[in-house]
Amino acid sequence: MADVTIRNLSKHYGAVEVMSDIDLDIRSGEFVVFVGPSGCGKSTLLRMISGLEEESGGSIEIDGRDVTGVEPSERGVAMVFQSYALYPHLTVAENIGFSLSLARVPKDEMRRKIEEAANILQLGPLLERKPKHLSGGQRQRVAIGRAIVRDPKVFLFDEPLSNLDAALRTQMRLELGELHQRLNTTMIYVTHDQVEAMTMADRIVVLNGGRIEQVGTPTELYRAPRSPFVAGFIGSPKMNLFEGPVAEAEGAEVLGLRPEHIVVDATGPWSGDVRLIEHLGAEAIAHVDTPEAGRVIIRLDGEAEVRTGDHVRLTPRPDRMHRFRAGQRLA
Amino acid sequence: MSQTHTTFRAAEARRRWIGGAVAILVTGVVFVLPFLFALLQASKTQADASTLSFSWPTEWQLWSNLVAVIQVRDYQLLLAFFNSTVITVASVTGLVVFASMVGYILQRRQSRWNGLINFLVLAGLMIPPAVVPTIWLLQQLELFKTLHGMVLIEIAYNLSFSILLYRAFVATIPRELDEAARMDGAKPWQTFFRVIFPLLKPVTVTNIVVQSIAIFNDFVNPLYYLPGKDNVTVQLTLYNFQSQFETQYNLLFSNVLLVTIPPLIVFVFFNRQIVAGMTAGAVKG
Amino acid sequence: MSDAALDRQEPAARRRTARRRVPYPYTFYIPAGVIYAVMFLVPTIASFYFALTRWTLFDSHFIGFGNFVQFFREPFLVQGLVNTLIFGISTSALKVVLGLALAVLLTSRIPARGYLRAVIFFPVLVSFIGVGIIFVSLMHPTRGAINVTLETIGIDGPGWLTTPWLALYSVIIVDVWKGVGIATVIFIAGIASIPSDYYEAARIDGATKAQQFWRITLPLSRPATVTVITLSLIGGLRTFDLIWTMTGGGPGFSSDVVASIIYKQYQSGFYGLSTAGNVVLFLLIALVMVPLTTWMNRREIDI
Repeated sequence: MADVTIRNLSKHYGAVEVMSDIDLDIRSGEFVVFVGPSGCGKSTLLRMISGLEEESGGSIEIDGRDVTGVEPSERGVAMVFQSYALYPHLTVAENIGFSLSLARVPKDEMRRKIEEAANILQLGPLLERKPKHLSGGQRQRVAIGRAIVRDPKVFLFDEPLSNLDAALRTQMRLELGELHQRLNTTMIYVTHDQVEAMTMADRIVVLNGGRIEQVGTPTELYRAPRSPFVAGFIGSPKMNLFEGPVAEAEGAEVLGLRPEHIVVDATGPWSGDVRLIEHLGAEAIAHVDTPEAGRVIIRLDGEAEVRTGDHVRLTPRPDRMHRFRAGQRLA
Repeated sequence: MSQTHTTFRAAEARRRWIGGAVAILVTGVVFVLPFLFALLQASKTQADASTLSFSWPTEWQLWSNLVAVIQVRDYQLLLAFFNSTVITVASVTGLVVFASMVGYILQRRQSRWNGLINFLVLAGLMIPPAVVPTIWLLQQLELFKTLHGMVLIEIAYNLSFSILLYRAFVATIPRELDEAARMDGAKPWQTFFRVIFPLLKPVTVTNIVVQSIAIFNDFVNPLYYLPGKDNVTVQLTLYNFQSQFETQYNLLFSNVLLVTIPPLIVFVFFNRQIVAGMTAGAVKG
Repeated sequence: MSDAALDRQEPAARRRTARRRVPYPYTFYIPAGVIYAVMFLVPTIASFYFALTRWTLFDSHFIGFGNFVQFFREPFLVQGLVNTLIFGISTSALKVVLGLALAVLLTSRIPARGYLRAVIFFPVLVSFIGVGIIFVSLMHPTRGAINVTLETIGIDGPGWLTTPWLALYSVIIVDVWKGVGIATVIFIAGIASIPSDYYEAARIDGATKAQQFWRITLPLSRPATVTVITLSLIGGLRTFDLIWTMTGGGPGFSSDVVASIIYKQYQSGFYGLSTAGNVVLFLLIALVMVPLTTWMNRREIDI
């Protein structure tokens, strides 16, 4: 049971304010992902929760206890770093048990806890190896093992998969999901990759320019982005965002339409030439230049008979339009 | 095509071998002959050595010369070896521990004090020690002519160089390791001594080699701060024997050989690591 | 968790809560700082006062700039100043040129590299006194091996250490001989850290070996060059051991440097004058090193 409650949190370096007025409630057992472009403040926020970065103002509560200004190791959190930060001169077992040896945990209890963590992560045969003799995925698991033995109330992950190749990343994503199910602990995960966020999160926190843009489940963010920024950031390929007459016709400053919500249709109101088609097998992405709306990206069935250079007519689905004004979603 | 290729390769290889042979010959004359001369001198009889000629000894008596040198002035050389070893080991230990601590904080913590500290480090490297005021101060502290006073002096004079080496090397260790240790509950000194210090090993080896040779071979500082025969060092003994052995060159050169043995041992052990530590420390510094 | 349970847990949690620690505490500076301050900084600062006194270690008598006036009035002291500059500049220049040449040689694919490296480094291991003793014998005007060898090919060798104009340069040669190993090692480390892509790219562009040296090796081993110049110039300007064992500053005062003058004044009990010599040496080094290092560091090249 460990809620994380953040109130009014701010961070500035000297006179430069990088983050202000952050309010966030993370429920016990939740898997929350912080996502946003680089420099949006997601890592700073995570590091403030961990205690590695000092809070300039506001408060952080973990499990009902105010931990603002408390030493990181006393907050009941554990962190997995982007580079894993394994101690190169220690074996896997010593890496995992380092926090226990610092806390002067008795030898046999220490061994039991290390083995327990090693079992969960299938590290048993590697315990006596040094980190440099491990593969990327194994290092990742050791870093997680080091967090597990501390029995934290909250796990923090700082872009932990960004150093892995694509195949391994998919596999580790699943393993982390299983781990979360098994431990049922609160986990906070930082990434710049919206696919990672969508696939792993119970709830996603989208950050931009040191502010929280939106908090919600992956489906909520996909279906009802609260701002043009979230609309453009979540989803791949990106949502089409139109300005000018097309948007004004719908009573908005910005009109958003996902590529799958624009259909090829002989009677459609927009017409244009297909400039480029990306065939992905099950589907195809077409880039169409229209005089009405400019460049439009649409998602087609993989077997659709559309070719580069074709002239097509398009119909935007009126029930799937996202209307924004002054950076806000209109009802 | 392939034949011209092979002849080209063969010519290249031949050129390389000729170059190597020339290099071996030249370095042999320039660097090896002087030491061969010292070895031959140390093996000669007194009369034989006094001619200073570069010749084979008429009679080999290296061993008896070495024994004789050790016995001079009531085994003073043994005392000198003991003193020099104590000074070297204690100073290098202090240098490694204290300089690595400074290098670590100096690299990790950027603050307005850094400018001042960097200035002091460079000052320590450049400014010649003020000899007489130091003697005056050591007398006040009752450290003049003592081994521990000498150790403190050696640490103070050589700190800057060690700090520079350590600071540059710390920059190559990712900060996330410090943070991981901190998350694991390490206090700052635990982070340093259990995580960072072991990782500084390459530059620590370089420090040990460079500083132990410099301190063991130091002449000018013991000359000023350790006068008298109670706390002689090997270099002082060698210097003093120079006048005593005016006519006994065989013993003088035996002495040179003896005092060169400890640095030689250090070098043989650590030869291969010296370049590694320098790469991070001195070149990118 | 109920409120009551929270209340019960709270005080225990409070007690073991440590406030945020400074992760990189200044206390780490203390041991080094104290030793440096007491053994180095205090005497250095004190020297600025004692240089202005007539001093017996027990009491000092303020005489203003008298010591400095005397220092610059004695011709042999001025000679010492000039010698110090000659020694510092020529040894460090020779170490840069020879060290770089040897490093290039030793990083190329010639046979017996390990042997050559060890041989060149070997003199670094021998003390200045030991090196001095060896070369005083070798440079003996009539019986020394150098002149005996020269004689066999019909050259009448000079008195290397007994000719006033030559003695300083003889010591300079020996100093370079002893110190070039360190310079070589630093250059080897510098050259080894140049990424090999540069050479591969240059070879593809058709660069000759000479062009590779002038366009790649030389500019990219600049940090090593700066280190060698700095270390050998500082060492050269402060030199004492080798001069003292090889010539004792002689013949006459012809090979005296500031450091040997400081020692002679100290031996004769002129403590104030000796300390003034220290201050002069300090100023000389500052005058050479400060502009030089500023200039060298301004043109840093990042790899």
